[in-house]
Amino acid sequence: MSDASSPWVQAAAPTAAPTAAPPQGSATAPGTPWAPDLAPSRPVYDGQLGELYSIYLRHLALMLVTLGWSRFWGRTRIRRYVWNHLSVLGDRFEYRGRGLELMIGFLLALLLVGGWAGLMYLVWIHVFHEKPFASFGLFDLFSLSVVLIGFPLAYVGHYAGLRYRLSRTRWRGIRCGMAGSAWGYGATATFLQFTNAMTGYLLTPVVSVNLARPRIANARVGTLPFAFAGRAGDIYGRYLGYYFLNILAWVVAAVVTFMAIGGTLESFGVSSDDFLKLLSHPSLRTVAVVLAIAFGAYLLFGLLILPLRCWWQAYLMRYLVTHSRAGNVLFATAISTWQMWGFLVLNYLIVLLTLGLGWPWVMHRTMKLIAGQLWIYGAPNGAEIRQPADRGPSHGEGLLDMFDVSGV
Amino acid sequence: MAARYYDGETAAVEEVMLRVTSHELVIYRPTDSSIVARWPVADLSVLGDSHHEAVPPLAIRGSEARLIVEDPAWRAQLATLLPALKPLALEPVRVAPRLGGYSLAIVALVGLFWSAIEYGTDYAVPLLPYTLQAKLGETVLDELLADKEMCHGKAGVAAINRLANDLARGAGYKHDVTVHIVAGGPVNAFTLPGSILVFYSDLIDQAKDSSQVAGVLAHEIGHVVHDHPIKGVARAYGIDLLIKVLSGGYSDILSTFGTGGSALLAMRNGRAFEREADATGVRLLEQRGLRADGVSTFFEQMLEKEPSDAASAAGIWSSHPPTRERIDATKRPPTGTPAFSAAEWQALRNVCK
Repeated sequence: MSDASSPWVQAAAPTAAPTAAPPQGSATAPGTPWAPDLAPSRPVYDGQLGELYSIYLRHLALMLVTLGWSRFWGRTRIRRYVWNHLSVLGDRFEYRGRGLELMIGFLLALLLVGGWAGLMYLVWIHVFHEKPFASFGLFDLFSLSVVLIGFPLAYVGHYAGLRYRLSRTRWRGIRCGMAGSAWGYGATATFLQFTNAMTGYLLTPVVSVNLARPRIANARVGTLPFAFAGRAGDIYGRYLGYYFLNILAWVVAAVVTFMAIGGTLESFGVSSDDFLKLLSHPSLRTVAVVLAIAFGAYLLFGLLILPLRCWWQAYLMRYLVTHSRAGNVLFATAISTWQMWGFLVLNYLIVLLTLGLGWPWVMHRTMKLIAGQLWIYGAPNGAEIRQPADRGPSHGEGLLDMFDVSGV
Repeated sequence: MAARYYDGETAAVEEVMLRVTSHELVIYRPTDSSIVARWPVADLSVLGDSHHEAVPPLAIRGSEARLIVEDPAWRAQLATLLPALKPLALEPVRVAPRLGGYSLAIVALVGLFWSAIEYGTDYAVPLLPYTLQAKLGETVLDELLADKEMCHGKAGVAAINRLANDLARGAGYKHDVTVHIVAGGPVNAFTLPGSILVFYSDLIDQAKDSSQVAGVLAHEIGHVVHDHPIKGVARAYGIDLLIKVLSGGYSDILSTFGTGGSALLAMRNGRAFEREADATGVRLLEQRGLRADGVSTFFEQMLEKEPSDAASAAGIWSSHPPTRERIDATKRPPTGTPAFSAAEWQALRNVCK
């Protein structure tokens, strides 16, 4: 698809005919045939990479000085920049969160983990300590329990974090928001992910759609709610194709890798012992060889496995976006497999190979991708969207900071 | 002056014009000049600043209404007319010098941070309250020995504790050292924070004579007097923190990378600590006129049993230097007084019986 063409341009044209009653509160005069406004537009991102980097590097320098405690304020500054350089229908977003709110969220999560540690200590003292059957200690018990609670809490944190960010986001001066229960989302996500893993990931479409639904349908701009009309059944056929092709690709990749490594070592007359010795006492040459092998493996993996994954992810993204709407505003994207590769794989490599310094670049690329690939059809009636009474949570993202990578 | 006006109650947008008087900002419709709002200058504020926001919104106290002036020239004019609105049009950021400045600052700070970890721990760790170190050591000990059988032979435990404390005092160490003996293997001994030593009875059983046990004990006392256990914890934590901070705390991929990196650095620290403990152990025995060849003969015995030498094979992944190197560094003549009396040695041999 060309960047300049709308994926729905053909479909949009014939809808000018009167088809339905006008929405309540529409400005259309009585008796006039109602034609839904489906004029396409795209978000605009006008941030500059250099400016973003100067904010990010300042944040990194302050992080070093404060041993990481400035991250709450640094994250807030970056969001202010990114949000305000993105506009929809000519109006920029505003981010009005504060660093202090993030720090309070983190301290509360710290308190939660501290309380949990205390509880585990009591369990250890009364159940395991100095008992003949006890073969693991306090640290083992705590680590295991944190893994167990960390998994669901990360999902709770994802949802609560999204709620916080939306509540601090404004468009045309109107606060966004998120309804629904983060704990309910955490429980559903944990159950679905666990069941999916137990069934060999054959339930992935069910998981994807059922986790996307609350995140989309509970989001709102002021009093205007989003809606999601996706169904897992719609995407199962494509997923099964991806699933079995993926297995085939892994088998081929494994066979080719083993043959290539074995053959290469033998052709150089290197035994496995020699190989291990090389790794334990690496010279510059060994490091170069290991990097070359890693690059070769990446190429193979990249050629066979990742395009398949990106193909599926691009399809899933198109499906989720086109089945979402906000009132009479429709969304669409024609994001391609190649663009998804840039988003998933290239961004990953940029962060990895720059040891994290490429993060602003990745953020900039992502915003450009959203601006280039998201199409918005129609415009809401601004007068109908009212400021919500709810101001959102007073603090945020503590669980996300504690149990997950919160990013920006 | 044109602007977009949001009333703060709905998402309706109005294209408006602005006029500034001495005490208020008048917002009016360009079509019929009707007034939309009059904002007293004293109550005006800018949300954010032009370094972070592309267009910082103008707001009025006590209301959620917003005024957006997209044109930078008009924003600058407004800021000139009303100095309180200066954040609307700050001096533009000169990106290149700023990037250069911050990059240099980051490199310098990383160097400083690294030095603090590498050298600062030598000075900072002794300042850590000893009670905290002891508590940490006891917790780890409880953890490690939860399901282990301990040896309680009074005379044997007393003998090894006597020598441990003699050696520690000889090094000017002012805290009491406690040695625990665990029944069974491996053939090993280690030190925990809080002057806690753990010996496995297999090491005592397989020692050819008392000088070998004394040599290993002196080596462990070397760790104690140099505060190696707590320095190791502090350095590992410091390196972990540095990697997290440098990666912006954003990437789990980098955490994985970082874990590998900090493990390697911990191993390197480990090898340095072992070399220092070897040298100190031998010196402490020699200072007291005791036989100091035990640790090298013990290593030779280990090497005979396992000629491939795991430490040497593991190279940079090993926490200990190659055994041959350690033998060469600690080799001493078999002279001097035995560190344990005959009765003590006998009691130590029977400590688990």
